[in-house]
Amino acid sequence: MADEEPVDPKKYLEELCKPKCVKPLLEYKTSQENEVAFVFLWVQACVKRIEGDESGHKHCTGQYFDYWHCIDKCVATKLFEKLK
Amino acid sequence: MERDYWVTNRKVFLREMAGGGAIHQLLRRKLQPQPQASALLSSVFSKRGHDGSSSAYTNYFRSFALVGAGVSGFLSFGTVASADEAEHGLECPNYPWPHKGILSSYDHASIRRGHQVYQQVCASCHSMSLISYRDLVGVAYTEEEVKAMAAEIEVEDGPNDEGEMFTRPGKLSDRFPQPYANESAARFANGGAYPPDLSLITKARHNGQNYVFALLTGYRDPPAGVAIRDGLHYNPYFPGGAIAMPKMLIDGAVEYEDGTPATEAQMGKDVVTFLSWAAEPEMEERKLMGFKWIFVLSLALLQAAYYRRLRWSVLKSRKLVLDVVN
Repeated sequence: MADEEPVDPKKYLEELCKPKCVKPLLEYKTSQENEVAFVFLWVQACVKRIEGDESGHKHCTGQYFDYWHCIDKCVATKLFEKLK
Repeated sequence: MERDYWVTNRKVFLREMAGGGAIHQLLRRKLQPQPQASALLSSVFSKRGHDGSSSAYTNYFRSFALVGAGVSGFLSFGTVASADEAEHGLECPNYPWPHKGILSSYDHASIRRGHQVYQQVCASCHSMSLISYRDLVGVAYTEEEVKAMAAEIEVEDGPNDEGEMFTRPGKLSDRFPQPYANESAARFANGGAYPPDLSLITKARHNGQNYVFALLTGYRDPPAGVAIRDGLHYNPYFPGGAIAMPKMLIDGAVEYEDGTPATEAQMGKDVVTFLSWAAEPEMEERKLMGFKWIFVLSLALLQAAYYRRLRWSVLKSRKLVLDVVN
């Protein structure tokens, strides 16, 4: 086994891409960053909204999916360059 | 009377379905009776009066039923959308696979590494019963390597001369070993879930290669408000979100022979390349043949087009003279 822990490139790229999917509306940019500019803020807002819910029916799957879809698109373009 | 039956019921049916004033006016005019009724009409109006004619009351009830069906259908359509996302799973991204291009071949080193991942990580639960050891020769390993690999497994053969079954070491012609004797044993060992056979999995799933890679590397914490029961794990790409398979690709789980660092993404890429090859071993030959024959047929098309125009030129260059004699 190699001496150093191999850093998984996918996790590394996901961390890099997370800021792109958080960008607030103020920084108006074109293409995918603009399209999902404030998705992460939606996720946070949803989590806060359903924090007090006891019924068990509310969930944030939609916002979660949007957020991860944004990250996936960003990661997919770069990931395979890092792999052998 | 049959003519009156169809005219009356068609009017009622159309009135309820359209529900508009304009249509109502249209219907006030005499309708031509249509002898061939649609299947929907005939199924809805299958109930008839004892003498074949319909009374006002049965008409009323039928139209009421239609309206009720329409309203309930409309309402259920509204609630379906909210369950849709998790039901279909998160849409997987498209990765730039090295073998994706129109003339691109597999990365055979990746197939070799992927087979190693399959053997060490996946084969304990997933069978690949359509692949034989001999299929690997020339693709990922040499013949000697595959023979040695096959010899490590025990295969039941027989009957021998004494009529008994016996076990022997594996040969090139043997299929990959099955982890469980049958589906029931597999389900029993995996909490009721059957680990599917992987021989054709990249063809058996929509956008298979990208889906399998996303699934294997996509284990995450569930979103707020989603609870997964014990025994299942959350994976957004899996339809429904709750998958029985735990996360299997952990960094460093496999030690690659060629020294490649075995990260989760690397193992995912290699195993999906291996599975793609397993499902479509003919891909390289297919692409070569496709390129060759599309080229040949394009030339043939040019030739055929020229020849057709040549033969038709006689007719196409006719001149018609209209000779009017007063």
